[in-house]
Amino acid sequence: MSDPASNRHLYWAVAAAACLAVAGGAAFYYATLKNAEAARGQTADRTVTITATACEPMELSVPGGRRSFEIINASDRPIEWEILDGVMVLAERENIAPGFRAGLTVQLQPGSYQMACGLLSNPRGTLIVTPSDEAAQAASEVTLRKFLGPLSEYRVYLVMQGNAALKSAQDLRAAIASGDVAAAQTAWAAARLPWRHIQPLAYRFSDLEGRIDARATYLAGREEDPAFTGYHRLEYGLFARNSTEGLLPVADQLVTDLEILKTRLREAPLDPQLLISLPVDTVDRIAQGQITEGENIYAGNDLADLQASVEGVAKLVGLLRAVVAPVDPRLDERIGARLAQVQADIDALKQGGGFPPYATVPADRRAALATDMTGLGAALGALQDVIGMN
Amino acid sequence: MVAFHLKTTALALAFAAGMATQGMAAEPTLDLVGPLSEYKLYVAENTAQLVTDTEAFVAAIKAGDVEKAKSLFAPTRMSYERIEPIAELFSDLDGAIDARADDYEKAEADEAFTGFHRIEYALWVESSTDPVQGYADQLLTDVKALDARINELTFPPEVVVGGAAALMEEVAATKISGEEDRYSRTDLWDFDANFAGSEKIYDLLKPLIAEKDPAFVTKTDANFKAVDDVLAKYRKDGGYVSYVELTDADRTVLSTRVNTLAEDLSTLRGMLGLN
Repeated sequence: MSDPASNRHLYWAVAAAACLAVAGGAAFYYATLKNAEAARGQTADRTVTITATACEPMELSVPGGRRSFEIINASDRPIEWEILDGVMVLAERENIAPGFRAGLTVQLQPGSYQMACGLLSNPRGTLIVTPSDEAAQAASEVTLRKFLGPLSEYRVYLVMQGNAALKSAQDLRAAIASGDVAAAQTAWAAARLPWRHIQPLAYRFSDLEGRIDARATYLAGREEDPAFTGYHRLEYGLFARNSTEGLLPVADQLVTDLEILKTRLREAPLDPQLLISLPVDTVDRIAQGQITEGENIYAGNDLADLQASVEGVAKLVGLLRAVVAPVDPRLDERIGARLAQVQADIDALKQGGGFPPYATVPADRRAALATDMTGLGAALGALQDVIGMN
Repeated sequence: MVAFHLKTTALALAFAAGMATQGMAAEPTLDLVGPLSEYKLYVAENTAQLVTDTEAFVAAIKAGDVEKAKSLFAPTRMSYERIEPIAELFSDLDGAIDARADDYEKAEADEAFTGFHRIEYALWVESSTDPVQGYADQLLTDVKALDARINELTFPPEVVVGGAAALMEEVAATKISGEEDRYSRTDLWDFDANFAGSEKIYDLLKPLIAEKDPAFVTKTDANFKAVDDVLAKYRKDGGYVSYVELTDADRTVLSTRVNTLAEDLSTLRGMLGLN
């Protein structure tokens, strides 16, 4: 019962298995060597021994970049070893039992840091990180990873401000339902602020934005146009006609729309490109529109709205500056200076701690504000070439 | 002989493949933005709760009500313990709020020993609120500062993802021994909070790892459940019984599972490209 074909197959199978065995053996040997090397800690750049009272040594110097440390606990209690940047923990290795050693690898930028050395009452050691090509390279590299924190933080901001916009619109609706015009006017002004915070992204949902923030100027039938809804329709009733009459359905619709918006903001996919373009688009739009012609034409409180928009832009700018600072410090400074100038322009318009009606702001001050806002937009526009990711 | 070689080969190849995956770092993706931001919202809820609860706790101390303060001690701490990976980024506040006596040279007598555990010592050992009036005020100031700083903080992605394992390591290395709440024996409350904090991170990341490694998810789910099953036996009146009631058998189960969870969860950073 000898089948030559199956014998041949068996031969090849054994030969192949033998080859695999040799290759596998070599891989196994190599892996074991690597492991042993790592276990002996010989790959660590520096070793720090923690005694009962201090680190040994108390001062270390390493070149910037990805550095590894081996920490030996020579005290009689479990310890954690931390690298501190001011009060912030930059990296830590926790729960090292007495007599044990542990490793920590961390990406370090040049600077002076502190090391925790056992007991909180023990003096801290010093870690000096010196400049290096590796550190400079790591700092200037633009990676998706560097955007993850800022993008997540912006999403948190959108969710929280979206919630605040909804909550304040519900308060406004309640004031309108009670027929109290003065309370409704106050609630209206307050409800605008979180809306202005989220507007950079909300503006992109054109269907909702059209209902929430429609302005009579752009509608054929102006104030009588059925498409005149949302905040400005309420503003018209409360401030131009001094009445809550007929406003309740409008307020109900606004609350519904903000509920939908809240969900959309939560679900909107964010990416670096969007984060870079949102503040540019926002400041350009404000510079070309609201600053010259005014937007809250019945209430006249444009400056409070503008201040809120600058806050919303500042949130984005702060997140982007954290990304650009190590890559292009001069652009980072330029953006910071431009934003500060816009904020200074708005602050300078305050009278007695509050904002005057927008109608009283002279044309030259409006023009200056628009110019500075455009300047901020230009500085932000330069981000695309420096940290843009497409 | 051939069979032996084949076995060794399979093992070696599997090992080599494992090394290769580790060496070839995965790149992080935008899918992390959702979980990272949801985690910050979770932390923000907890710090807000911590401020509210600490206000009531401190009020009881200021009123000299030892019994009421004792009853509020463990529940107040939970929102801190849930978010420890982030809270302990601020070394000054973490030390002031949550340090143990043996973090200091003179232990309980050390003036730098403040916060929850100094107050715990006063309530259970000194049986008085008198020595900690100043520490109580300071605690409230510190948790408010923590709340404000956390709200301002852009969370480092690797700290969030690494936090799931960090919480488990903390439990395994120091808490199973009953070191943390040594005067009040309310350790099980802290365990619950540490587990919840770790599981929150894991749950948020689960959709990202379920496709890559379904076996990891099955195993980790089972370990979390085993831990929860043990804890459930000790729940009482919305809280937990004293840590001294934990049986040796259950302590062993907890210890084993927690160590496995710590080890497994420590691979999350690598899996998600955040090493």
